[in-house]
Amino acid sequence: MKRIVTVCLAAGMLTGCAGIGVDPWDRGVLARDDMQLDAYPIDASLDDHIYFSKEASSGGRGFGGGGCGCN
Amino acid sequence: MSKRDTTIGHAVAAATCTLLGTAAPALAEDEAARWDFDTALLYYGEDNDRVRDLSASILARRDFDDDRYLNLDLTVDSLTGASPSGAIAMDGPQTFTSPSGNDVYETAAGQVPLDDTFLDTRFALDVGWTQPFARLYTMTAGLGFSTEYDYTHLGANLGVTRDFNRRNTTVSAAVAYAQEDIDPVGGTPLPLALMQDVGDDSSKAGTDTKDVLDLLLGVTQVIGPSTVLRVNYSYSDSSGYLTDPYKILSVVDPVTGDTIERAPASGALGPTGVYRYEARPDSRRKQGLYAEVKHDFTGKVLGVSYRFGTDDWGIDSHTLDARLRWPIGEFNYVEPHLRYYTQNAADFYRFSLLDGDPLPSFASADARLADLDGVTLGLKYGHRTVSGSEWNARVELYQQSGNVPGGQLIGNQSRRAVFPDLDAVIVQIGYRFKL
Repeated sequence: MKRIVTVCLAAGMLTGCAGIGVDPWDRGVLARDDMQLDAYPIDASLDDHIYFSKEASSGGRGFGGGGCGCN
Repeated sequence: MSKRDTTIGHAVAAATCTLLGTAAPALAEDEAARWDFDTALLYYGEDNDRVRDLSASILARRDFDDDRYLNLDLTVDSLTGASPSGAIAMDGPQTFTSPSGNDVYETAAGQVPLDDTFLDTRFALDVGWTQPFARLYTMTAGLGFSTEYDYTHLGANLGVTRDFNRRNTTVSAAVAYAQEDIDPVGGTPLPLALMQDVGDDSSKAGTDTKDVLDLLLGVTQVIGPSTVLRVNYSYSDSSGYLTDPYKILSVVDPVTGDTIERAPASGALGPTGVYRYEARPDSRRKQGLYAEVKHDFTGKVLGVSYRFGTDDWGIDSHTLDARLRWPIGEFNYVEPHLRYYTQNAADFYRFSLLDGDPLPSFASADARLADLDGVTLGLKYGHRTVSGSEWNARVELYQQSGNVPGGQLIGNQSRRAVFPDLDAVIVQIGYRFKL
């Protein structure tokens, strides 16, 4: 059931998103380094490791590297 | 030598000169231009001589043309300091057997017990490959390895993205699998076994393992010329040894709430109270919903993200994160950062165990499984050089405070320090450059 809901949600989002967006010549700002969603991967990776070691929830943005460092 | 031979000789000589004299530097130059490096040195330090970590990372990317990239990520960590053991504070000093089973450590009267025997170095290497494999499709594949004194991680991941809607919408799906070997100092404690005297390993077993399967489904959507949105759903299934082998619980009097006293065997060193090693379930299923938006306000970039996490240990969490990148002139920027995190306690979190009660199936007094809030405040500064490299530095303060769930504090416990709140500072210096 959960899978069906997820697939429907994803399909709905895709359909809903079909009209949203910009033309290639309007991507000047979006192409800038500071507008990338993973602009500073090393900061994100180090932060993920810190909070993974100190809090019960982790992840969500992507896959983290390995290891425990759990103290 | 014939005229034809001379011509060939000239051609060979010219080719050799070209290779040795001109082409070699050109090749080297081309190779250098294909590499991007992102490096960082990070210090993480908690107050009261708790955990301190020094970490060096290097992320290298090589461009293989046609949107094909090799990513290498190397991190080395050095960890020292003290960590809350899970035992409760008492009015008098307390003595514990160290995890190795070869020594004891002491906690002063009124203090939340910290185990100060940690010293670890972690080495982690991740290798990833990205390439398009059909029109609008891109795949990523990676392998990860990390090792520390008591822990080894081996993982693999595979992901696919597909662009839609004039490349304004990207759907991604990824799977990762990891196997981890746990070889705790002094052995793996048996679930809820008693802490024994020095030299008595009857509560300890050998090594153990765990497996982690992660799935991620995501959509990235361009909303407008200045706005991009990402939404991820994540699922994680861990099974195997999920207990923290170094955490313990105090066994207390059900009326006074004081730890039951014990004496080590004659002539032996050992704990002065009754403590049991914790026990967690051997499986955990986590789900998360993550949303992130980035918007450009004529040069200033605001990034906001929210994450909801829930799992079958009964822990729900909310994380809100905001950064505002504010350019100063053409080459500098500052970026204030605010993060707020909150979680409720795991179903099996226990502040202490009551003497005489039957043992529960699972119990942990690990503060990280309690009700807690965390706030991070930070500021980053970056400077871009004329050549396109970037220096940056950030300073952040992380403050964590928690509560023991209602009804778990008994007798004298409520008038003592109960929760190991922490204040930590994060300092990072980074340099990203091309050769």
